[in-house]
Amino acid sequence: MLLETKALSKHFGGLAAVSLLDISVREGEVVGLIGPNGAGKTTVLNLITGFLKPSQGRIFFEEKEISHKKPHTIARLGIGRTFQLAYLFPDFTVFENIVASFHIHPRTGFWEALLNTSSCRAKQGDIEEQAAEIMRLVGLEPVKEALGRNLPHGYQKLLSMARALAVKPKLLLLDEPIGGMSPQEIAFAMTVIEKVRTQGIAILLVEHNMKIMPLCDRVVVINFGNKIADGSMAEVRQNEEVIKAYFGRDDA
Amino acid sequence: MTARRSPNSKRKEAKKLLAALAVVVLLCLLPFSTTSPYYLHTFIITFIYVISAASLRTILLSGQISIAHGAFMGVGAYASAILAKELDWSPWLTMPIGGILAMAFGATTGYPLTRVRAIYFSMVSLFLGLAIVALMGVLQGITGGDIGMIDIPPLSTIAIRGLPAVDFGASKVPSYYFFLILTFVVLLILYRIEHSHVGMSWKAIAQSYMVASSVGVNESGQRLLAFAVGCFFAGIAGAGYAHYNMVLTRSSFGFLPSINLLIYVLVGGAGSFIGPVVGTAVLVIVPEVFRSLKAFVPFVFGGIMLFVVFFMRQGIAGLFKQLSVKLSGTGEKEMPSRAA
Repeated sequence: MLLETKALSKHFGGLAAVSLLDISVREGEVVGLIGPNGAGKTTVLNLITGFLKPSQGRIFFEEKEISHKKPHTIARLGIGRTFQLAYLFPDFTVFENIVASFHIHPRTGFWEALLNTSSCRAKQGDIEEQAAEIMRLVGLEPVKEALGRNLPHGYQKLLSMARALAVKPKLLLLDEPIGGMSPQEIAFAMTVIEKVRTQGIAILLVEHNMKIMPLCDRVVVINFGNKIADGSMAEVRQNEEVIKAYFGRDDA
Repeated sequence: MTARRSPNSKRKEAKKLLAALAVVVLLCLLPFSTTSPYYLHTFIITFIYVISAASLRTILLSGQISIAHGAFMGVGAYASAILAKELDWSPWLTMPIGGILAMAFGATTGYPLTRVRAIYFSMVSLFLGLAIVALMGVLQGITGGDIGMIDIPPLSTIAIRGLPAVDFGASKVPSYYFFLILTFVVLLILYRIEHSHVGMSWKAIAQSYMVASSVGVNESGQRLLAFAVGCFFAGIAGAGYAHYNMVLTRSSFGFLPSINLLIYVLVGGAGSFIGPVVGTAVLVIVPEVFRSLKAFVPFVFGGIMLFVVFFMRQGIAGLFKQLSVKLSGTGEKEMPSRAA
């Protein structure tokens, strides 16, 4: 198992945003995390990546516990993520955004960088090569030199994915990867996600837009912080609880 | 720049280096046209504050607006002065020690500072600066308290066999050259740090600490590193000032001097590397030129500050950049409006 949460809970004051949640992601698997607004989906991503501390429960990544580690440590272990809103570094160009995200792999030390040794320059060239490759993968080459702040929304979403890929993740967490996109942009973003998946990177994604569902091997539905269904799209669609959560149908 | 070096950016970089060398050569020639101690003094003071302002900008790069930088200059100044005066050590040795002590002090006091961000960071740094100056008063046994410290040993004579001795007491010319070289070296080091991946991480944190930590940048660690590096060079500047001036009063390192350093950086342009150099040069030399109107200096500073805030957010250096973009027509390229 690549990622596993056990009885994961998060309380904000008296409110349980996430309660006793068990989620798992296998190597190379694409899992969709869905649920109505306020179900606690983004909170789950923030808990996994260390931006929030769990109130209870534990999180394991490759069988090692990461429950109370800091965000940068978790990123270094191989979990990349995108954000719903704060996507990128606004004052860096697209290319710099990706290059900056490579610095997670600190191959050059402080002194080496200061003296600008030839080995340091070679490593820098290597990083720029790989950054260019990621840029091609997500189709950002046409806007390479544009500043992050000037990017249209669709490109921003793609850039945040490119940035997360620079971490060389084994697991990629995507927070609404196609939110607010036009139909053409959605089609393109889905081909990008498909390409990422063929590289063997596991994906856990949060999304409202059901168009993404064909990409998912498995779907986990949560509501009010509780897991109400877990299985293939077809199975989940039949689930009474899910229907109730989405359409508010009262069977009583 | 981290973008792959195109021939164009290489040429730009060469141009920049050439311009910097031209300025240095001109400054090297200055003592041949005038040995007036007054002019040389003005330049030496400018050099010292350029080091301090540039190192403050290094801290700003990581998104931390420190209002304690003047105080850290003071830590270096008093540390070096006390070691040289009380223990009779050579100022050539005590100056780097002053820098290291300022850095160590910055790193230890900076640790809790990395727990707070933005305005809260600035507030805490403000009180840290005030506390440091208060400490200088409390330790009056060695610092001289409010009376100040006098008889600080000047830079000692360099005597190398076969070469004429360099005596820093006889004229201001040797001091002028020493601080010119020191400034150049410090700026070179700060430039390299800024353009390495370390500098890039600092800029990344300043733009979004959340995104930065999501790609593995150790936010608090890198912020502490930026703060310590900045404090080191502030300490060096302060130590140089102590042995050049030979008199220290703690009021030189209080709230206003710290704010002035910030003003130097902002007026020059915090966004560009030469910003603090330009800002310091303008704001140290201009008041000296209009010395007879000294009482009005705070008003002039305030006026300049207002002007910068309203009309040139990028500072004086940014103004040059905008002009050169306009003249050469190399603005940012239009981009396609939609993805895919």
